[in-house]
Order: sequence, then structure tokens, then C-alpha cells
Amino acid sequence: MSDLDKAIAQLRACRPIPEAQVREVCHKARELLIEEANVVTVAAPVTICGDIHGQFHDLMELFRVGGDPPDTNYLFMGDFVDRGFYSLESFLLLLCLKVRYPDRMTLIRGNHESRQITTVYGFYDECLRKYGSANVWRYCCDVFDYLALGAIVLGASNTLEPTNEATTRDDVEIEVCNADGDAISHFGRRGKAGGSDQGSLNGKTGRTGPPGSGASGSSGGTVGNPAGAVLCVHGGLSPLIDTVDKIRLLDRKQEVPHEGAMCDLLWSDPDEIDGWGLSPRGAGFLFGADIVKMFNHRNDLSLIARAHQLVMEGFKEMFDASIVTVWSAPNYCYRCGNVAAVLELSEDPGGQGFFSRSNGDVGRSDGGVNRGVLLDSDDGSKRGPARRYRVFQAAPQDSRGMPAKKPVADYFL
Amino acid sequence: MPSHDTIIQGTDTDAAVSRMSAVDLGYLEDQYSRFFVQAPAMGAAVRRLPIINRGTYTRTTALDRLIGSFLSATDGQERQIVSLGAGTDTRAFRLFNKESQAKLIYHEVDFPTVIARKYHLVRSIPALRAVIQRPGSIDRTHTWRDEDLPDGSQYWCYGLDLRDLSKPDVTPLAGLRTDVPTLLLSECCLCYLEVTEASKVIKYFTDRISCLSSVIYEAVHPNDPFGKQMVSNLAARRIRMPTLEEYTDPSTQEARLRDAGFDSVHSLTIERIWEDWISPDEKERVDNLEGLDEVEEWSLLADHYSVSWDDVGSETDYDASFMVDSDYEPSRDSDSNGLVEQEVEEYIRASGMLKEELLDDVDDGEEKSSNADTRGPGAVFQISDFGLKAVADKTT
Repeated sequence: MSDLDKAIAQLRACRPIPEAQVREVCHKARELLIEEANVVTVAAPVTICGDIHGQFHDLMELFRVGGDPPDTNYLFMGDFVDRGFYSLESFLLLLCLKVRYPDRMTLIRGNHESRQITTVYGFYDECLRKYGSANVWRYCCDVFDYLALGAIVLGASNTLEPTNEATTRDDVEIEVCNADGDAISHFGRRGKAGGSDQGSLNGKTGRTGPPGSGASGSSGGTVGNPAGAVLCVHGGLSPLIDTVDKIRLLDRKQEVPHEGAMCDLLWSDPDEIDGWGLSPRGAGFLFGADIVKMFNHRNDLSLIARAHQLVMEGFKEMFDASIVTVWSAPNYCYRCGNVAAVLELSEDPGGQGFFSRSNGDVGRSDGGVNRGVLLDSDDGSKRGPARRYRVFQAAPQDSRGMPAKKPVADYFL
Repeated sequence: MPSHDTIIQGTDTDAAVSRMSAVDLGYLEDQYSRFFVQAPAMGAAVRRLPIINRGTYTRTTALDRLIGSFLSATDGQERQIVSLGAGTDTRAFRLFNKESQAKLIYHEVDFPTVIARKYHLVRSIPALRAVIQRPGSIDRTHTWRDEDLPDGSQYWCYGLDLRDLSKPDVTPLAGLRTDVPTLLLSECCLCYLEVTEASKVIKYFTDRISCLSSVIYEAVHPNDPFGKQMVSNLAARRIRMPTLEEYTDPSTQEARLRDAGFDSVHSLTIERIWEDWISPDEKERVDNLEGLDEVEEWSLLADHYSVSWDDVGSETDYDASFMVDSDYEPSRDSDSNGLVEQEVEEYIRASGMLKEELLDDVDDGEEKSSNADTRGPGAVFQISDFGLKAVADKTT
């Protein structure tokens, strides 16, 4: 067993690894990450995860529900640290897995992967408490600076691989599964007959929009990429970024700035507004459906997957399924009572199946000039990737025999 | 295993630490809060999360504002505030430190150990002693006081189990006046009592004091996912809030006050108060202190606390419509009405007439068709009550 495998085993038991080993792992991780593009290209199948926030035992539950790495190909959209009690173990485990299985693990940066934010929201204090010095925090922050800003998923299928069900239903665009893998609801594609169980996701008509409508089909797809590409980013869009290629041009290897394109990608939120709005977070922007649809069309994207916002149901599709929020920290801060979710995109059988991680998919954004008008009326029904959300709850306190400090959540008393 | 009472007393330490955190970071100004936080073992100040600091700020600001309107409405008269489960609260010190707060009798009720601790702090800390100069000694009933504060003010601390106030053979609070406008304050206190006990405690005061207003700050919304988790987490700390099960939202909190005999009741969540009461400039100042990334969590948390009150304030120092919810209907024209009330008040003072008789006259004359209820809604009317009732009580 290699040192790295030993470290992974130790971290899986929620035990920190020695400072010297942290330093070594961080160094190796940096060497890997420095080669990755600002926007990493990832081939389906992939399981996309949102915020983790140091909830280590829930990360273990996520792996139980989503499949263990490296058997499952994972993409984590940032915010590994802060708030929970085990930021260190959670981040280091993900980082060790990244070093061990670089092509099976994709980590992109969240707004909490920053020196300034971690000093306010807990990761700094946790490192100090567990190691007696800030060295480990410094090593980790140096890694943060090299994390990619986004990812593009190519080759996703527009049909779902069956889970526990005997037959594949190729008219299903969205399937929601519980933690045991049982499908609890299906949502068919618009225009297909027999969508008897079709309803509104997350209980909100309008906001979520019927799956398969509108922008989820705005991409005609390309060879080997019939369902259109999926952009993954922690926060959202930026008024300074109109094409994915512009993200590639940023100099990302720095602390998250207070403003500018890089800041926006990590801080912005979709909202029910037209155009751009000021963010209540004091960083990034709010952006409306028109912005998302324009951006997706121009960049041949069928979907933007992002994290950053707590959603009580674990995931929330907005703007005619042109953007989805995925949230992977159940009972956030041991207080919020929410469930969590991961998003599975399966592999298109006709896809080419290989994409370079480092070079990205340069040149895919052509400004939309060859794509006809926005929201074209092409009514091909199999557009946009089929999406399976696996919804799960917080791990029981004593799950998997691991000691869990009884968390104390703050209230006003 | 500590008793439930001990655990509830511990919630006061929690509140003191939260207050200290909000003061340290500049959310609130409170020169006294640091004296009530025991030095943490690590030596470093406890820093609460931004949403907790914002919540502490909003709660304190809301109560300050309601208390401020009570004080300005009763300016010039004797008046009293009764703070239930006051614990280590610093509000009395902050109020007495203001020169304008004359003739204020401030009562605090809490467990004897809590009251004794406060006594020893006041005796030993010069900054507190400067406000309460003659704290005397703790008497047999666990009460201590300073009746000779400047400008006719008094400070009373009663060490007793609040639930005793719900018993029929209760020993009255020695310094409590029944003839002056009174504000009853429960800042996360009555919620720890059984529902019937809490009602009886309020009844203790409504039975005795005719000119009474109240402000209650409590948790609400226990039945949604966040609320269920809150109840469960608090239960794990062996904290139970019986009133939370009974008064589950702002409307039931309003009904509770109405049933207790209060008029013109309002209840708003902390989230609404943050949105509606805090000015844009002040919001910007507060937001810039730490930044607040957790906007969704703030909405959840702040939606689970409410401030409920009956009209305690006046429109003399600020616009009352700013204070109350948008569903508030100023069905009386406040200007003309205020003028009428003022005249009535002066007339009563001069003639010694009973208030009810006079008000009936006024209402018959002014409000023939518009309002059958003589005690119509609106801050102005209630404010006058403070003056009117005080006079009325003295004449009978």
C-alpha cells in the first residue's frame, strides 16, 4: 500500500494526516492542477456535486449514494471547506483522491476556497486547532489558488442508464432517486406522450419550468456530443464573460479577487430578474433567465450546473432547465434541515469518450453566429442531457462506526 | 446532569457571548457587554458567525426601537420597564447612561443566582457602579435595588423563579408600580415556560397594571424543515420551548397578545424587520463589517424568530408607519387624531375627569360612522393611553 493509499485510508476514517504529509500531497496536487485549464474538460459519465462545507460524514454518505471513487467519476464544484467541523479531513481526502485518480476526480474552486473567507468561516481556526499552527492552512490555500474555475462536461447522454429499474425509459429527461437508488419520480420530455408522472420539480411551477422545455434544448448538439455541453461553475456568470473562451483567458492563480470576472464566477447567483442585478452577498452579481439563455446559446451549452446556494430540496432547476443549482451538504451547518443531491450525467453510447483535460475544448464558442436564432423552433425532442438527481439526507451521527463530535448549532437563545 | 433550569440559565451565557461578538465586530455599541462575559478559557474573544451577529444586531435594534418609542411616548412621566429573564442583559445600564431617560423604573426578574451574580458585578466593576451607585445589599427575598438613581429613576432586581408569578399566592414584586405606564419585555424568556405558566405570568402584570404594553421576542415556525431541525437540535441540548409549539407563527403570536388583552398587536419575523426597519445606509454599514455570504441561511434563520408587540410607541420621534407592517391601516387620520388626543389629555389633566367618559364623548363626536370600536387601531391612540390612564388611575 502506497503512502498515498494509506493517507486516503486514514482520511476516510476521518483522522487527519501528519503535517509533513499534507505538505507533500498539496505539492503534488499543485503540480497536477497547474496543468489543468481554467475550464477543465470532463467526459461523461460524471457525478456532479455541490457544496460540501466540511461535513465529512455527509461526504461519506455522498460516496455511498453516488458510488465510491474511483468507480464513479466525480466533479466537485467547490466549497469543500468552512462551516462544518471537518473541513480539513474533507478537503484533504478529496485532494488525495485527486492526486491518486487525477482523471476520475475534478475539483473546481468555490468562493470559500480563499484565504480571506476561510479566516471568517472556520477552516483557518480548524487548522490551527488540529495542528497548532497555520502551516496546513497555508498549504491548502496555496492549492486553492490552482483549482480550476470551471468545467465543461461533454458526451453526456440524453437518455438515462437504468438504475434499479428493469427497463430504460428513453423519454425520461429527469429522474429523482432516493439514497437507496430507488427512483422516486420521473419527468418526461416535453412533447412526448405519456408523461403521466410529469409534474413540476421542486413543487414550483414556472420557476423550475417543465423539464425539457426551452433552453434545455437550445443546443443542437455536436458530433459526439448530442446532448450539448454542460458548464459547471461554483457561482455563475459574469457580465465580463460572454464566452467560455474568455474564462480560459483569465489568470486564475491568485487569491479570489473582490471583483472582476473570476470573483463573479465564484460568487454570482441566478435570480428571477431581467439582466444583471446587485448581489446581496456583496460580491458577484445576480443574473436573470435572459442572461443564462443567451450565454448557453452562444456557447453551445445545454445546461449550466452550479452550486453556491442552499436549496432545501438538494437541487433546483431554473429558467426552463437552463441552469441548475446542486447542493450536496445535507442539513447544512447541522441546522438547516435540508436534503442534499448530486447530479448524474450518463455517457452517450455514441460519444467519442475522450477529451483532453488540459486543452479544454477551445474554439467551441463561436459567438453563436452559425447557430441560427436564439430559441429556434427545431422540435427534436431529445435535447439536453438526461439528468438523474440522487437525493440524500444527513448521515446519522454514529454512521459507519466513526466518532462524530455532537455538533452544536447556533441559535438565538 | 444539570437541571432544565440550569440549562435555561446557560442560554443567557450564550446570549451574552453573542452580544459581545456583535459588539466586538462593530454591529452594536454597548460599553457594558464585556463585563458580563466570563473570560473564555482560550483567552480569545468568541467570534460568532456573521448571520448570528446580524441576528443579534437586528433583534437588539428592534427592541431598542420599540423601547425607545415607549420611552418617548411617556417622556416626562414616571414609567417602568419590566424585563423578564433579563439575565446579563445590559439594556438597563445603557438606558440609565442616557441623560434623557428620567423617571424610569427598571425591573429585572431572573433566577436568584443570576440576579446575585449581576449584583456582585455591579458592586465590583466601576463602570457599572458608575451607573448604579448605591446597589445596597441583597435582601431576604433575593431582591436588590437602587432607588436613588439620577432624575428620579430606579433599578430593581428580583431573584425569583418566574413561574412563581403564575401562582395564586405570589408575593408581589416589591418595587412594581401599578399606576404608571409599563412595558413588559420578554427577550427569549417566556418561551421556556409551559404555555399556561407563560400566560399566567403575563396575566400577573395585566391584572395589576392598567397601562401595560408588551414586547415579546421568541422563536417561531417550528414545523418546517429548518424549524424541525431547530427543535431537535435544542432538544439535544435539553432545551425545550413549550410556547413555540403553541404560538407557531407571527399571526398566532399576535393572537396570543390579543387574548392577553393587548390592542393593536403586531408581529414580524426578524427577517422582515431586517428588511423593513433597517435603513439602506445602516444595512450597508452592517454588511460591510464582515460581509455575509450565507444569504439563504440568513433568510432561514431570521424567518424563525419574531418580535411581537402592541403599540408602544409614538409618532413624535419617527414615522410609525415605518415601524409597522404594510397591512397596518391608519384608519384614523393621525394628525387630527393626535391633536384631539392631546386636547383630551390636557382637558383630563385640568378637570380630573375619567378617561373613558371623555373618550366616549370624543369618539361619538369624531368617529360616528367610521369606527364603532372606540379603541381604534393606530399608535397615536395607544400612546395617549399612557398619559390618560396614568391620570385616570390617580383620580380614582
